[in-house]
Amino acid sequence: MLVPYSVREGLANFRRAKFAAFASTSAITVALILIGVFAVVGYEAQEVTSMLREQAGEMEVFIQDDASEREQDALHARIETMPGVARTDYISHQEAAEIFRREFGEEAALFEDPTFLPASVKVWVEPPYANPDSMAALSRSFGQWQNVDEVVFNRDLLARVARNRRIVLFVGAALGAIVLLTAVFLVANTIRLTIYARRLLIRTMKLVGATDAFVRRPFLVEGILQGTIGGAIAAAAVWGGYRLFMQQMNQPVEPWEVQLSLVGGLIGAGILLGWLGSYFAARRFIQSVELH
Amino acid sequence: MITLNSVSVSFELPNGDRRPVLENVSMNVDRSEMTYLIGPTGSGKSTILRLLYMDLLPDDGVAEIGDYRSDLIETNEIPYLRRSIGVVFQDFQLLPDRSAYDNVAFALYATGKKQKEVRSRTLKALARVGLSHKRSNYPHELSGGEQQRVVIARAIANDPWVLLADEPTGNLDPVVADEIQELLLGLHRQGMTLLMATHDYRLVKEFPARTLALMNGQIVEIDPATL
Repeated sequence: MLVPYSVREGLANFRRAKFAAFASTSAITVALILIGVFAVVGYEAQEVTSMLREQAGEMEVFIQDDASEREQDALHARIETMPGVARTDYISHQEAAEIFRREFGEEAALFEDPTFLPASVKVWVEPPYANPDSMAALSRSFGQWQNVDEVVFNRDLLARVARNRRIVLFVGAALGAIVLLTAVFLVANTIRLTIYARRLLIRTMKLVGATDAFVRRPFLVEGILQGTIGGAIAAAAVWGGYRLFMQQMNQPVEPWEVQLSLVGGLIGAGILLGWLGSYFAARRFIQSVELH
Repeated sequence: MITLNSVSVSFELPNGDRRPVLENVSMNVDRSEMTYLIGPTGSGKSTILRLLYMDLLPDDGVAEIGDYRSDLIETNEIPYLRRSIGVVFQDFQLLPDRSAYDNVAFALYATGKKQKEVRSRTLKALARVGLSHKRSNYPHELSGGEQQRVVIARAIANDPWVLLADEPTGNLDPVVADEIQELLLGLHRQGMTLLMATHDYRLVKEFPARTLALMNGQIVEIDPATL
Protein backbone atom coordinates (compact mmCIF):
# COMPACT_ATOMS: atom_id res chain seq x y z
CA MET A 1 0.00 0.00 0.00
CA LEU A 2 2.96 2.33 0.70
CA VAL A 3 4.12 2.59 -2.90
CA PRO A 4 0.69 3.18 -4.44
CA TYR A 5 0.01 5.90 -1.85
CA SER A 6 3.28 7.62 -2.70
CA VAL A 7 2.48 7.36 -6.40
CA ARG A 8 -1.06 8.64 -5.85
CA GLU A 9 0.20 11.48 -3.70
CA GLY A 10 2.97 12.34 -6.15
CA LEU A 11 0.50 12.50 -9.03
CA ALA A 12 -1.99 14.47 -6.94
CA ASN A 13 0.74 16.96 -5.93
CA PHE A 14 1.43 17.47 -9.62
CA ARG A 15 -2.22 18.38 -10.09
CA ARG A 16 -2.57 20.40 -6.88
CA ALA A 17 0.52 22.56 -7.26
CA LYS A 18 0.09 23.33 -10.94
CA PHE A 19 2.36 26.35 -10.99
CA ALA A 20 5.18 24.57 -9.16
CA ALA A 21 4.84 21.59 -11.49
CA PHE A 22 4.83 23.90 -14.50
CA ALA A 23 7.92 25.75 -13.23
CA SER A 24 9.90 22.58 -12.57
CA THR A 25 8.85 20.93 -15.83
CA SER A 26 9.74 24.08 -17.78
CA ALA A 27 13.14 24.28 -16.09
CA ILE A 28 13.83 20.65 -16.97
CA THR A 29 12.64 21.21 -20.54
CA VAL A 30 14.84 24.28 -21.05
CA ALA A 31 17.82 22.55 -19.45
CA LEU A 32 17.38 19.48 -21.63
CA ILE A 33 16.94 21.52 -24.81
CA LEU A 34 20.27 23.17 -23.98
CA ILE A 35 21.88 19.79 -23.39
CA GLY A 36 20.18 18.27 -26.44
CA VAL A 37 21.24 21.03 -28.81
CA PHE A 38 24.75 20.80 -27.46
CA ALA A 39 24.74 17.02 -27.85
CA VAL A 40 23.59 17.25 -31.48
CA VAL A 41 26.14 19.95 -32.34
CA GLY A 42 28.82 17.97 -30.51
CA TYR A 43 27.89 14.78 -32.32
CA GLU A 44 27.96 16.43 -35.73
CA ALA A 45 31.29 18.09 -34.89
CA GLN A 46 32.62 14.69 -33.87
CA GLU A 47 31.45 13.21 -37.17
CA VAL A 48 33.14 15.98 -39.15
CA THR A 49 36.33 15.52 -37.12
CA SER A 50 36.26 11.77 -37.73
CA MET A 51 35.79 12.36 -41.44
CA LEU A 52 38.71 14.78 -41.49
CA ARG A 53 40.87 12.36 -39.55
CA GLU A 54 39.96 9.57 -41.90
CA GLN A 55 40.89 11.72 -44.86
CA ALA A 56 44.12 12.83 -43.23
CA GLY A 57 44.92 9.31 -42.11
CA GLU A 58 45.72 8.22 -45.64
CA MET A 59 49.01 6.55 -46.54
CA GLU A 60 50.35 5.17 -49.75
CA VAL A 61 52.65 2.14 -49.83
CA PHE A 62 54.52 2.02 -53.13
CA ILE A 63 55.47 -1.44 -54.39
CA GLN A 64 58.82 -2.19 -55.95
CA ASP A 65 58.65 -2.57 -59.74
CA ASP A 66 60.20 -6.02 -59.73
CA ALA A 67 57.55 -7.52 -57.36
CA SER A 68 55.57 -10.28 -59.02
CA GLU A 69 51.79 -10.23 -59.11
CA ARG A 70 51.66 -12.88 -56.37
CA GLU A 71 54.03 -10.90 -54.19
CA GLN A 72 51.95 -7.78 -54.70
CA ASP A 73 48.79 -9.64 -53.70
CA ALA A 74 50.54 -11.06 -50.62
CA LEU A 75 51.75 -7.60 -49.63
CA HIS A 76 48.29 -6.16 -50.06
CA ALA A 77 46.78 -8.95 -47.95
CA ARG A 78 49.41 -8.46 -45.24
CA ILE A 79 48.80 -4.72 -45.08
CA GLU A 80 45.08 -5.34 -44.65
CA THR A 81 45.68 -7.45 -41.55
CA MET A 82 47.77 -4.81 -39.76
CA PRO A 83 46.13 -3.43 -36.61
CA GLY A 84 44.87 0.10 -37.15
CA VAL A 85 44.23 -0.35 -40.85
CA ALA A 86 40.61 0.48 -41.66
CA ARG A 87 40.60 -0.25 -45.38
CA THR A 88 42.96 -0.51 -48.32
CA ASP A 89 42.85 -0.12 -52.04
CA TYR A 90 45.28 -1.68 -54.50
CA ILE A 91 46.28 0.62 -57.34
CA SER A 92 47.96 -1.02 -60.31
CA HIS A 93 50.33 0.67 -62.79
CA GLN A 94 47.45 1.27 -65.17
CA GLU A 95 45.14 2.69 -62.52
CA ALA A 96 47.93 4.95 -61.27
CA ALA A 97 48.43 6.23 -64.80
CA GLU A 98 44.70 6.76 -65.18
CA ILE A 99 44.57 8.79 -61.99
CA PHE A 100 47.59 10.75 -63.15
CA ARG A 101 45.94 11.50 -66.48
CA ARG A 102 42.76 12.53 -64.75
CA GLU A 103 44.57 14.91 -62.42
CA PHE A 104 47.02 16.41 -64.86
CA GLY A 105 44.90 16.39 -68.02
CA GLU A 106 46.70 17.19 -71.22
CA GLU A 107 50.05 17.59 -69.51
CA ALA A 108 49.98 13.91 -68.65
CA ALA A 109 50.54 13.09 -72.34
CA LEU A 110 54.14 14.22 -71.93
CA PHE A 111 54.74 10.92 -70.21
CA GLU A 112 54.42 8.31 -72.88
CA ASP A 113 55.07 5.23 -70.78
CA PRO A 114 51.88 4.39 -68.97
CA THR A 115 53.75 2.12 -66.54
CA PHE A 116 56.29 4.62 -65.25
CA LEU A 117 54.15 5.08 -62.14
CA PRO A 118 54.59 2.34 -59.55
CA ALA A 119 51.77 0.17 -58.28
CA SER A 120 50.74 0.96 -54.73
CA VAL A 121 48.42 0.09 -51.88
CA LYS A 122 46.42 3.00 -50.55
CA VAL A 123 45.82 2.60 -46.81
CA TRP A 124 43.25 4.39 -44.65
CA VAL A 125 43.82 3.99 -40.94
CA GLU A 126 41.19 3.91 -38.21
CA PRO A 127 40.53 7.35 -36.66
CA PRO A 128 42.49 6.67 -33.42
CA TYR A 129 45.59 5.87 -35.53
CA ALA A 130 45.26 9.05 -37.55
CA ASN A 131 47.97 10.96 -35.71
CA PRO A 132 51.58 11.66 -36.70
CA ASP A 133 53.16 9.20 -34.22
CA SER A 134 50.98 6.18 -35.06
CA MET A 135 51.22 6.85 -38.76
CA ALA A 136 55.01 7.16 -38.54
CA ALA A 137 55.22 3.85 -36.65
CA LEU A 138 53.00 2.17 -39.23
CA SER A 139 55.03 3.67 -42.02
CA ARG A 140 58.27 2.37 -40.46
CA SER A 141 56.79 -1.13 -40.21
CA PHE A 142 55.66 -1.14 -43.84
CA GLY A 143 59.00 0.30 -44.96
CA GLN A 144 60.84 -2.71 -43.55
CA TRP A 145 58.78 -5.23 -45.46
CA GLN A 146 59.97 -6.93 -48.63
CA ASN A 147 58.82 -5.49 -51.96
CA VAL A 148 57.98 -2.13 -50.41
CA ASP A 149 59.67 0.73 -52.21
CA GLU A 150 58.45 3.74 -50.26
CA VAL A 151 55.74 4.78 -47.84
CA VAL A 152 54.31 8.30 -47.93
CA PHE A 153 51.74 10.17 -45.89
CA ASN A 154 50.93 13.84 -45.23
CA ARG A 155 52.56 14.43 -41.86
CA ASP A 156 51.83 18.20 -41.81
CA LEU A 157 48.13 17.76 -42.49
CA LEU A 158 47.93 15.08 -39.80
CA ALA A 159 49.63 17.32 -37.26
CA ARG A 160 47.26 20.17 -38.12
CA VAL A 161 44.17 17.95 -37.82
CA ALA A 162 45.39 16.52 -34.50
CA ARG A 163 46.05 20.02 -33.11
CA ASN A 164 42.67 21.35 -34.24
CA ARG A 165 40.95 18.26 -32.87
CA ARG A 166 42.49 18.88 -29.45
CA ILE A 167 41.27 22.48 -29.51
CA VAL A 168 37.76 21.40 -30.58
CA LEU A 169 37.66 18.72 -27.88
CA PHE A 170 38.84 21.12 -25.17
CA VAL A 171 36.41 23.88 -26.14
CA GLY A 172 33.62 21.32 -26.52
CA ALA A 173 34.28 19.80 -23.11
CA ALA A 174 34.42 23.24 -21.48
CA LEU A 175 31.19 24.36 -23.16
CA GLY A 176 29.56 21.01 -22.34
CA ALA A 177 30.50 21.35 -18.68
CA ILE A 178 29.07 24.90 -18.58
CA VAL A 179 25.83 23.80 -20.27
CA LEU A 180 25.48 20.80 -17.97
CA LEU A 181 26.21 22.80 -14.81
CA THR A 182 23.79 25.54 -15.86
CA ALA A 183 21.12 22.95 -16.56
CA VAL A 184 21.58 21.13 -13.27
CA PHE A 185 21.71 24.42 -11.33
CA LEU A 186 18.55 25.69 -13.01
CA VAL A 187 16.63 22.49 -12.34
CA ALA A 188 17.92 22.04 -8.78
CA ASN A 189 17.01 25.60 -7.83
CA THR A 190 13.55 25.50 -9.36
CA ILE A 191 12.71 22.20 -7.70
CA ARG A 192 14.15 23.49 -4.42
CA LEU A 193 11.88 26.54 -4.57
CA THR A 194 8.80 24.48 -5.39
CA ILE A 195 9.52 22.09 -2.52
CA TYR A 196 10.27 25.00 -0.20
CA ALA A 197 6.80 26.32 -1.02
CA ARG A 198 5.41 23.06 0.35
CA ARG A 199 7.36 22.88 3.59
CA LEU A 200 4.05 22.86 5.48
CA LEU A 201 3.34 19.50 3.89
CA ILE A 202 6.75 18.20 4.96
CA ARG A 203 6.33 19.62 8.45
CA THR A 204 2.92 17.99 8.87
CA MET A 205 4.14 14.64 7.61
CA LYS A 206 7.08 14.72 10.01
CA LEU A 207 4.85 15.78 12.86
CA VAL A 208 2.51 12.83 12.46
CA GLY A 209 5.41 10.38 12.35
CA ALA A 210 6.18 9.81 8.69
CA THR A 211 9.69 8.53 8.12
CA ASP A 212 12.03 10.68 6.03
CA ALA A 213 11.90 8.13 3.20
CA PHE A 214 8.10 8.24 3.24
CA VAL A 215 8.05 12.05 3.13
CA ARG A 216 10.51 12.01 0.25
CA ARG A 217 8.76 9.41 -1.91
CA PRO A 218 5.87 11.51 -3.31
CA PHE A 219 8.35 14.26 -4.19
CA LEU A 220 10.44 11.72 -6.07
CA VAL A 221 7.39 10.46 -7.96
CA GLU A 222 6.53 14.04 -8.83
CA GLY A 223 10.12 14.79 -9.88
CA ILE A 224 10.25 11.72 -12.10
CA LEU A 225 6.94 12.67 -13.69
CA GLN A 226 8.13 16.23 -14.31
CA GLY A 227 11.39 14.85 -15.69
CA THR A 228 9.57 12.50 -18.06
CA ILE A 229 7.32 15.24 -19.39
CA GLY A 230 10.19 17.75 -19.62
CA GLY A 231 12.38 15.15 -21.32
CA ALA A 232 9.68 14.24 -23.83
CA ILE A 233 9.03 17.89 -24.75
CA ALA A 234 12.75 18.62 -25.04
CA ALA A 235 13.32 15.46 -27.10
CA ALA A 236 10.50 16.41 -29.46
CA ALA A 237 11.83 19.97 -29.81
CA VAL A 238 15.46 19.00 -30.35
CA TRP A 239 14.64 16.11 -32.68
CA GLY A 240 12.15 18.18 -34.71
CA GLY A 241 14.56 21.12 -34.83
CA TYR A 242 17.42 18.89 -35.92
CA ARG A 243 15.42 17.30 -38.76
CA LEU A 244 14.12 20.66 -39.92
CA PHE A 245 17.60 22.17 -39.85
CA MET A 246 19.13 19.30 -41.83
CA GLN A 247 16.29 19.49 -44.31
CA GLN A 248 16.82 23.22 -44.78
CA MET A 249 20.56 22.69 -45.19
CA ASN A 250 19.93 19.85 -47.63
CA GLN A 251 22.00 17.50 -45.53
CA PRO A 252 21.29 13.83 -44.76
CA VAL A 253 20.07 13.12 -41.23
CA GLU A 254 21.89 10.69 -38.95
CA PRO A 255 20.67 7.07 -38.94
CA TRP A 256 17.58 6.12 -36.91
CA GLU A 257 19.63 4.51 -34.12
CA VAL A 258 21.35 7.85 -33.51
CA GLN A 259 18.04 9.73 -33.55
CA LEU A 260 16.48 7.19 -31.17
CA SER A 261 19.48 7.50 -28.85
CA LEU A 262 18.99 11.26 -28.82
CA VAL A 263 15.29 11.01 -27.98
CA GLY A 264 15.78 8.19 -25.44
CA GLY A 265 18.80 9.91 -23.94
CA LEU A 266 16.92 13.17 -23.41
CA ILE A 267 13.93 11.46 -21.81
CA GLY A 268 16.29 9.40 -19.63
CA ALA A 269 18.23 12.52 -18.68
CA GLY A 270 14.93 14.25 -17.82
CA ILE A 271 13.95 11.41 -15.50
CA LEU A 272 17.39 11.49 -13.90
CA LEU A 273 17.32 15.28 -13.49
CA GLY A 274 13.80 15.23 -11.99
CA TRP A 275 14.68 12.42 -9.65
CA LEU A 276 18.01 13.83 -8.48
CA GLY A 277 16.67 17.37 -8.18
CA SER A 278 13.70 16.23 -6.05
CA TYR A 279 15.83 13.86 -4.00
CA PHE A 280 18.35 16.48 -2.92
CA ALA A 281 15.85 19.31 -2.48
CA ALA A 282 13.43 17.15 -0.46
CA ARG A 283 16.24 15.69 1.63
CA ARG A 284 17.49 19.14 2.48
CA PHE A 285 14.09 20.43 3.57
CA ILE A 286 13.18 17.29 5.45
CA GLN A 287 16.31 17.78 7.53
CA SER A 288 15.93 21.51 8.03
CA VAL A 289 12.19 21.99 8.46
CA GLU A 290 11.22 22.87 12.05
CA LEU A 291 8.10 21.45 13.59
CA HIS A 292 7.20 24.13 16.14
CA MET B 1 4.39 8.62 31.73
CA ILE B 2 6.14 11.91 30.86
CA THR B 3 9.30 12.85 32.73
CA LEU B 4 11.83 15.62 32.52
CA ASN B 5 14.85 14.85 34.67
CA SER B 6 17.23 17.77 35.37
CA VAL B 7 16.82 19.07 31.83
CA SER B 8 18.71 22.11 30.59
CA VAL B 9 18.26 23.73 27.22
CA SER B 10 19.91 26.81 25.75
CA PHE B 11 19.76 28.41 22.32
CA GLU B 12 22.59 30.00 20.42
CA LEU B 13 22.18 33.70 19.78
CA PRO B 14 23.31 35.34 16.51
CA ASN B 15 26.40 36.76 18.32
CA GLY B 16 27.45 33.23 19.31
CA ASP B 17 26.44 33.50 22.98
CA ARG B 18 24.01 30.95 24.43
CA ARG B 19 20.77 31.95 26.11
CA PRO B 20 19.53 29.44 28.68
CA VAL B 21 15.81 28.66 28.35
CA LEU B 22 15.47 25.81 30.82
CA GLU B 23 17.89 25.19 33.65
CA ASN B 24 17.92 21.91 35.52
CA VAL B 25 14.16 21.46 35.11
CA SER B 26 12.36 18.34 36.33
CA MET B 27 8.69 17.44 36.03
CA ASN B 28 6.46 14.45 35.87
CA VAL B 29 3.06 13.74 34.26
CA ASP B 30 1.37 10.42 34.93
CA ARG B 31 -0.63 8.49 32.36
CA SER B 32 -4.24 9.67 32.00
CA GLU B 33 -3.41 12.87 33.87
CA MET B 34 -4.33 16.31 32.65
CA THR B 35 -1.74 19.01 33.21
CA TYR B 36 -1.48 22.65 32.24
CA LEU B 37 1.88 24.18 31.55
CA ILE B 38 1.57 27.92 32.01
CA GLY B 39 3.89 30.86 31.78
CA PRO B 40 4.41 34.04 29.81
CA THR B 41 5.43 34.00 26.16
CA GLY B 42 9.07 32.99 25.83
CA SER B 43 9.17 31.22 29.18
CA GLY B 44 9.96 27.83 27.62
CA LYS B 45 6.55 26.11 27.39
CA SER B 46 6.95 25.27 23.71
CA THR B 47 10.53 24.20 24.36
CA ILE B 48 9.29 21.58 26.83
CA LEU B 49 6.79 20.25 24.29
CA ARG B 50 9.49 20.19 21.60
CA LEU B 51 11.65 18.15 23.95
CA LEU B 52 8.81 15.67 24.31
CA TYR B 53 8.16 15.16 20.61
CA MET B 54 11.94 15.23 20.20
CA ASP B 55 12.17 18.10 17.77
CA LEU B 56 14.85 19.25 20.19
CA LEU B 57 17.21 17.32 22.44
CA PRO B 58 18.32 18.68 25.84
CA ASP B 59 21.85 19.98 26.45
CA ASP B 60 21.75 18.15 29.78
CA GLY B 61 19.36 15.77 31.53
CA VAL B 62 16.82 13.38 30.08
CA ALA B 63 13.36 13.88 28.56
CA GLU B 64 11.23 10.76 28.59
CA ILE B 65 7.84 10.10 27.01
CA GLY B 66 6.32 6.63 27.03
CA ASP B 67 8.99 4.17 26.02
CA TYR B 68 11.28 6.79 24.48
CA ARG B 69 14.18 8.57 26.19
CA SER B 70 16.07 11.50 24.69
CA ASP B 71 19.44 10.05 25.67
CA LEU B 72 18.78 6.67 24.06
CA ILE B 73 16.59 7.43 21.06
CA GLU B 74 18.02 6.93 17.57
CA THR B 75 17.10 9.39 14.81
CA ASN B 76 15.22 6.71 12.89
CA GLU B 77 13.06 5.96 15.96
CA ILE B 78 11.70 9.51 16.24
CA PRO B 79 8.92 8.99 13.64
CA TYR B 80 7.68 6.00 15.67
CA LEU B 81 7.64 8.09 18.85
CA ARG B 82 5.53 10.71 17.06
CA ARG B 83 3.07 8.08 15.87
CA SER B 84 2.38 7.17 19.48
CA ILE B 85 1.54 10.73 20.51
CA GLY B 86 -0.67 13.55 19.22
CA VAL B 87 0.45 17.16 18.81
CA VAL B 88 -1.76 20.24 18.39
CA PHE B 89 -0.54 23.78 17.70
CA GLN B 90 -2.29 27.14 17.89
CA ASP B 91 -1.67 27.81 14.18
CA PHE B 92 -3.76 25.06 12.69
CA GLN B 93 -1.32 24.12 9.96
CA LEU B 94 -3.91 22.33 7.89
CA LEU B 95 -3.07 21.57 4.28
CA PRO B 96 -5.21 24.13 2.42
CA ASP B 97 -5.61 22.07 -0.73
CA ARG B 98 -7.25 19.09 0.99
CA SER B 99 -10.64 18.55 2.59
CA ALA B 100 -11.06 17.97 6.33
CA TYR B 101 -11.28 14.24 5.63
CA ASP B 102 -8.11 14.25 3.52
CA ASN B 103 -6.22 16.28 6.13
CA VAL B 104 -6.92 13.60 8.73
CA ALA B 105 -6.52 10.64 6.35
CA PHE B 106 -3.24 12.02 5.13
CA ALA B 107 -1.74 11.73 8.62
CA LEU B 108 -2.72 8.06 8.73
CA TYR B 109 -1.40 7.30 5.26
CA ALA B 110 1.83 8.99 6.27
CA THR B 111 2.27 6.36 8.96
CA GLY B 112 1.73 3.53 6.49
CA LYS B 113 -1.86 2.58 7.36
CA LYS B 114 -3.93 0.72 4.78
CA GLN B 115 -6.78 2.41 2.95
CA LYS B 116 -9.58 0.55 4.72
CA GLU B 117 -8.16 1.30 8.15
CA VAL B 118 -7.50 4.90 7.17
CA ARG B 119 -11.14 5.35 6.22
CA SER B 120 -12.57 3.93 9.42
CA ARG B 121 -10.10 5.75 11.69
CA THR B 122 -10.60 9.06 9.88
CA LEU B 123 -14.37 8.90 10.11
CA LYS B 124 -14.13 7.94 13.77
CA ALA B 125 -11.75 10.79 14.58
CA LEU B 126 -13.94 13.32 12.77
CA ALA B 127 -16.97 12.01 14.67
CA ARG B 128 -15.13 12.40 17.99
CA VAL B 129 -14.53 16.10 17.31
CA GLY B 130 -18.08 16.56 15.99
CA LEU B 131 -17.16 17.32 12.40
CA SER B 132 -18.50 14.34 10.46
CA HIS B 133 -20.90 16.59 8.58
CA LYS B 134 -18.10 18.85 7.36
CA ARG B 135 -15.64 16.21 6.27
CA SER B 136 -15.74 17.35 2.64
CA ASN B 137 -15.13 21.02 3.46
CA TYR B 138 -11.79 22.63 2.75
CA PRO B 139 -9.99 24.58 5.53
CA HIS B 140 -10.99 27.97 4.08
CA GLU B 141 -14.63 26.88 4.32
CA LEU B 142 -14.29 26.15 8.04
CA SER B 143 -14.29 28.53 11.02
CA GLY B 144 -11.25 28.82 13.28
CA GLY B 145 -12.81 26.51 15.86
CA GLU B 146 -13.71 23.96 13.21
CA GLN B 147 -10.20 24.07 11.80
CA GLN B 148 -8.79 23.41 15.25
CA ARG B 149 -11.19 20.47 15.57
CA VAL B 150 -9.78 19.03 12.34
CA VAL B 151 -6.27 19.45 13.76
CA ILE B 152 -7.36 17.62 16.94
CA ALA B 153 -8.97 14.89 14.82
CA ARG B 154 -5.69 14.54 12.94
CA ALA B 155 -3.78 14.35 16.22
CA ILE B 156 -6.03 11.67 17.73
CA ALA B 157 -6.66 9.61 14.58
CA ASN B 158 -3.77 7.33 15.47
CA ASP B 159 -5.22 6.69 18.96
CA PRO B 160 -2.31 8.29 20.82
CA TRP B 161 -2.02 7.78 24.57
CA VAL B 162 -1.03 11.41 25.05
CA LEU B 163 -1.93 14.72 23.46
CA LEU B 164 0.60 17.56 23.58
CA ALA B 165 -1.21 20.83 22.94
CA ASP B 166 0.76 24.03 22.40
CA GLU B 167 -1.61 26.98 22.93
CA PRO B 168 -4.48 25.18 21.16
CA THR B 169 -6.89 28.02 21.86
CA GLY B 170 -4.44 30.85 21.27
CA ASN B 171 -6.01 31.96 17.98
CA LEU B 172 -9.64 31.52 19.03
CA ASP B 173 -12.19 33.81 20.62
CA PRO B 174 -13.25 32.92 24.20
CA VAL B 175 -16.49 31.15 23.24
CA VAL B 176 -14.83 28.93 20.65
CA ALA B 177 -11.82 28.48 22.96
CA ASP B 178 -14.18 27.09 25.60
CA GLU B 179 -15.67 24.67 23.06
CA ILE B 180 -12.22 23.40 22.11
CA GLN B 181 -11.28 23.12 25.78
CA GLU B 182 -14.47 21.07 26.41
CA LEU B 183 -13.46 18.83 23.53
CA LEU B 184 -9.97 18.31 24.94
CA LEU B 185 -11.38 17.62 28.40
CA GLY B 186 -13.74 15.08 26.86
CA LEU B 187 -10.77 13.26 25.32
CA HIS B 188 -8.99 13.35 28.66
CA ARG B 189 -12.06 11.91 30.41
CA GLN B 190 -11.89 9.01 27.94
CA GLY B 191 -8.39 8.24 29.29
CA MET B 192 -6.07 10.33 27.19
CA THR B 193 -3.11 12.00 28.91
CA LEU B 194 -3.17 15.72 28.18
CA LEU B 195 -0.30 18.17 28.53
CA MET B 196 -1.41 21.61 27.46
CA ALA B 197 0.79 24.69 27.25
CA THR B 198 -1.17 27.92 27.57
CA HIS B 199 -0.93 31.48 28.76
CA ASP B 200 -4.72 31.81 28.91
CA TYR B 201 -5.18 31.88 32.70
CA ARG B 202 -8.93 32.38 32.32
CA LEU B 203 -9.17 28.97 30.71
CA VAL B 204 -7.07 27.36 33.44
CA LYS B 205 -9.33 28.83 36.13
CA GLU B 206 -12.49 27.87 34.30
CA PHE B 207 -11.39 24.28 33.64
CA PRO B 208 -9.07 23.61 36.57
CA ALA B 209 -6.51 20.80 36.56
CA ARG B 210 -2.98 20.22 37.76
CA THR B 211 -0.99 23.34 36.81
CA LEU B 212 2.75 23.70 36.37
CA ALA B 213 4.11 27.23 36.00
CA LEU B 214 7.34 28.06 34.24
CA MET B 215 9.15 30.92 35.93
CA ASN B 216 12.74 31.99 35.27
CA GLY B 217 13.58 28.69 33.67
CA GLN B 218 12.19 26.68 36.61
CA ILE B 219 8.94 24.73 37.05
CA VAL B 220 6.70 25.31 40.04
CA GLU B 221 3.41 23.55 40.74
CA ILE B 222 0.67 26.04 41.59
CA ASP B 223 -2.98 26.07 42.55
CA PRO B 224 -5.03 27.31 39.53
CA ALA B 225 -7.39 29.09 41.87
CA THR B 226 -4.59 31.48 42.81
CA LEU B 227 -4.21 32.73 39.24
